[in-house]
Amino acid sequence: MTSISDPVVKRDHDAKISGRALYLCDYPRDGILTGKLLRSKYAKARILGVDVPELPEGYVYADARDIPGDNNVQMVCDDTPVFTRETAEYIGDPIAMIAGPDPEVVEKLISQCQVHYEELEPTLDMETSEEFFFDYNYGKGDLEKAFAEADHVFTETLRTGHTEQAYMETQSMMAEPEADGSMCIHGSLQCPFYVKNALKRVLGLPAEKVHVYQDVTGGAFGGKEGFPSMLGAQVAVTANKAKAPVVCILDRREDIEFTSKKHPSVSVYKAAVKDGKITAMDIDVKFNAGAYTTLTPVVLQRGIICASGVYNVENLHIRGRAVKTNSVPNGAYRGFGGPQTFFTAETFVSHIARKLGLDVLEFKKANLCKQGDLTATSGKYHFRVPLPEMIQEVDEAIGYSRKHAEYSKPQTGRYRKGIGMSLCFHGAGFTGSAEQDVIKAVARLHKYSDNSVEILISNTDMGQGLHSTVPKIAAKELNLPYSKIKMKLPDTNRVPDSGPTAASRSMMVVGELVRRASIKLRESWIDGEEQVVEEQFKQPDFMIPFTLANFHGDAYPTYSWAVNAIEIELDTLTGLTKVIDACGSYEVGTPIDENIVLGQMEGGFLQSIGCACIEHIGYDSKGRIRNNSFSDFLIPTAKDVPHLKAMLHVVEYPNGPYGAKGAGELPVVPGPAAYINAVEQALGNKTYISYAPISAEDVCEILAKEA
Amino acid sequence: MVNGFFPHSLQEALEILSQHSAVPYGGGTDLMVQNKPCEAYLFLRKIPEMTQIKVDDEYIRIGAAVTFTEALADARVPQLMKEAVSRIAAPAIRNAGTFGGNLGNGSAKADSVLIEFVSDAKLLIKSLNKERLVEVDKFYLGRKKLDLAADELIVEVLLPKNGWDKFYYQKVGGRNALAISRVSFAGLFAIEDGRITNIASAFGAVADTVLRYKDLENMLLGKTLAEAKELKEEFLKAYNERMVLTRGRVSAEYRKTVCMNLLRDFLTQYGI
Amino acid sequence: MEAVRFKLNGKETAYEGKATDRLLDVLREKYRMTSVKCGCKEGECGACSVLIDGVLINSCCVAMGAVEGASVVTLEGFRETERFKVISKAFGEVSAVQCGFCIPGMVIAAESILSKNPHPTEDEIREGLSGNLCRCTGYNAIVKAILNAAKEGEGLW
Repeated sequence: MTSISDPVVKRDHDAKISGRALYLCDYPRDGILTGKLLRSKYAKARILGVDVPELPEGYVYADARDIPGDNNVQMVCDDTPVFTRETAEYIGDPIAMIAGPDPEVVEKLISQCQVHYEELEPTLDMETSEEFFFDYNYGKGDLEKAFAEADHVFTETLRTGHTEQAYMETQSMMAEPEADGSMCIHGSLQCPFYVKNALKRVLGLPAEKVHVYQDVTGGAFGGKEGFPSMLGAQVAVTANKAKAPVVCILDRREDIEFTSKKHPSVSVYKAAVKDGKITAMDIDVKFNAGAYTTLTPVVLQRGIICASGVYNVENLHIRGRAVKTNSVPNGAYRGFGGPQTFFTAETFVSHIARKLGLDVLEFKKANLCKQGDLTATSGKYHFRVPLPEMIQEVDEAIGYSRKHAEYSKPQTGRYRKGIGMSLCFHGAGFTGSAEQDVIKAVARLHKYSDNSVEILISNTDMGQGLHSTVPKIAAKELNLPYSKIKMKLPDTNRVPDSGPTAASRSMMVVGELVRRASIKLRESWIDGEEQVVEEQFKQPDFMIPFTLANFHGDAYPTYSWAVNAIEIELDTLTGLTKVIDACGSYEVGTPIDENIVLGQMEGGFLQSIGCACIEHIGYDSKGRIRNNSFSDFLIPTAKDVPHLKAMLHVVEYPNGPYGAKGAGELPVVPGPAAYINAVEQALGNKTYISYAPISAEDVCEILAKEA
Repeated sequence: MVNGFFPHSLQEALEILSQHSAVPYGGGTDLMVQNKPCEAYLFLRKIPEMTQIKVDDEYIRIGAAVTFTEALADARVPQLMKEAVSRIAAPAIRNAGTFGGNLGNGSAKADSVLIEFVSDAKLLIKSLNKERLVEVDKFYLGRKKLDLAADELIVEVLLPKNGWDKFYYQKVGGRNALAISRVSFAGLFAIEDGRITNIASAFGAVADTVLRYKDLENMLLGKTLAEAKELKEEFLKAYNERMVLTRGRVSAEYRKTVCMNLLRDFLTQYGI
Repeated sequence: MEAVRFKLNGKETAYEGKATDRLLDVLREKYRMTSVKCGCKEGECGACSVLIDGVLINSCCVAMGAVEGASVVTLEGFRETERFKVISKAFGEVSAVQCGFCIPGMVIAAESILSKNPHPTEDEIREGLSGNLCRCTGYNAIVKAILNAAKEGEGLW
């Protein structure tokens, strides 16, 4: 290995490619009870009682009354129950779990449960819901003055849809009571200490009696950040009652219908423009939280911090609210609020340029933030903003300017083309001061007497490759062969809490702790002796402290950047769009393994294109998800975007390991805005599309209106 | 082991069906997804008469247990059928799924069935004591309702040998592969001595069964292209009034718009 | 008939359960072939891909009776071959494996593509993989790995 970016064969490669890797669903089931959830049929109902059928020997029914501790799944606020309290708040709200040796019998028993409901009127429409979980406000400058002095004022309402992480391995958790009264919980998860902290409360057990470890995890994309705490609690409560291990593996339909998804959003944007510059924005963002708060406040915080996009807007007011509806609680989805507000900001700014008769990209460039400018939260862009160079790279790679000019000419005939571009950042790491005040990450290295070194951190590998990249750092600093560095899937009995694997923080924050710990170990190295070193997080001293009360200061130490261009061809007879070409430039600092980082970018890019067109969760009038299967909830196949190119633009970040910063979430952010921009051009720029995803049906409707 | 029958000849299969209740099993791609409890499957893939493609004087005869992949590899299968069949799901499904299964499932979304409708295909249906040829549009009695008795088997699909040269095909799915049709359209056109001899249009995935209106086609049969052009708007209007579509994964309005757009484009493509 | 007799990864075996049982479930539960993953149970994801008489099939859409007399190959069998080694190496070199859940199906699909067409184009590979969903990679690395495997494994297919 000459450069840290040079690819290695991933450590989990052999196990996974040979099919030997065991996911939770692959464990032998002997002696393990299978758990299934009894779920509410109604979006809102009082649960008057449940007539439980007679249970055969070895079967157990567990509900809220069986919770030894507290019926709250710890996330941010206390409102998400393990099992329903008096009311069910969405279709699928878990009422109870039945577990037993034969899954078919369990299924039958669940179907025989008679739940007595008193149906209540649900709130299903986020736009008319009047119950707000959170209401944030912040701003800067003098809004009134800027609007008073503006040459033009623009307003627009923009919307983003509901979509699903669609990891290939469904949610799966298992709980095993241990002889000493402790509980071992393991499964497909992102954040073992989240599960541990949640389970301590639910089981009423001290920390040392709750043991959590990660099994091989088949994708997560945010979906296994909060939800495993709930499913983990449900199997643990049932296992506690059964005095036997209980596993619950959701089937695909349950997973799509009843697990947390991306928050749909509706935002009202108002902007003042003077002399070709956006001088002010007044933005009102609403996210649909669903029935419980789960991770919504933190998703909303990041969302509204991104709401003015990559532009330097000196006078700003942003309000962000999360509304309650009686639908499945929404939570973390790769990008964590950013994809929603970057779509709305990018689309709004494009529309302003078009309404002014200006070239969209030139208008965007004239308003871009740059190093030294204040961020939306009056922090600072401390480092170079590389967007101008990245725009040029993408332009050259895909021929954006040429195609944009060509497709701007009037098009006739059945097929029409368009190309769009979008820009975004992703704040690297947790929002605000959470890293310093709440997480306080610790990384540990354990050197054994054979001079091998084990990395002990709580961060998980769910496919993104962290357990292949972090050992590269230790190997480099310790001058050891890569194979001499050990790292296992985290087990809370063995690893310190280095924080969750979320927010694109693991490499930048924990990777840096491992680098520093490796240096410390190298400097104190004694051959043949067992040694342990630890490093703790320290906030970079250049940061302007962030206060959440007024959203003031550096929300992030630094940002990752992306530029996407997407070229489409639209069939005016069917409304179908085809992606002809797609190109993205991504700046995530130094890639700690080029292949792995490119793989993240390519995968995220395709996800973001999916979110722009085909990925859409639909509901019936009762609040039930209609497309709860892989034949109806569609994600892209290998044939949908055959030409997709991701490029890395490297600007080293001085406070990350070798210049690395946040990477994982960035690529899912910019796609939809570029896509919609391209569709508008193909439609002759006569229309302003203010929502994503857009379906073939939507396109046909627009064409019909124009005709 | 219970609940499976493995006939090695058509005769044997029909005998089994005359005595037992069994569900004919071609490729399993629909049956296993529906996963309805059933007493027994009758496995058809070992029946030579049903797994072959043959051509006689009048018909291309596709055995009901021929898979889509097998048909795609056969030079005798008309291109229009291949266009439709090649867009079914993905290779693994096409490797298993059969023509008989596509029919027997009873869905108006079945991609091969659309082509059978537009080409006036016939089905050879047999029971132990009876055999009959049914026109495909008569076979569908309504939503998921088939003219097929419990002891009968779809044995072959009979496609006309000729008339396939001028065709039009469009499938509207949710994505480029693994896509169930949301609207599908097929057209066949023929002209002899300056007069239109065939102008068949079939619409799939828009109602309970595949739709075809032969009486409306009559408006243009026997006409010259110039005469047909004169009648074009009237012809389209008649379709527009006749077609009552249902809502599915997409709205009825969208289905109607697409059907009418494609029908018009079909006419335009052949000079009308 | 008392049992379904078939070859599983080259070995003759007899299954004495029901002919209507699902091949996917039987492979995973009775034969412990856990490389065969269940991603949807309706033929829409390809995670359960196997080869039946050399043909790519979703094992979730197969009743046991349909494999009577057939030869079923799962990754547990295929991983013992030279071809697998080439595919594994090619996937490894471009880091085409992320979460891994789709990968056994992808490897079986790759074998199906190459065994029919030893020199596939990129479009032919994408067509061949179009029934195998992957949510992590965006497919580029997998396609590239199969192109590389075709080159590296010259003569094997």
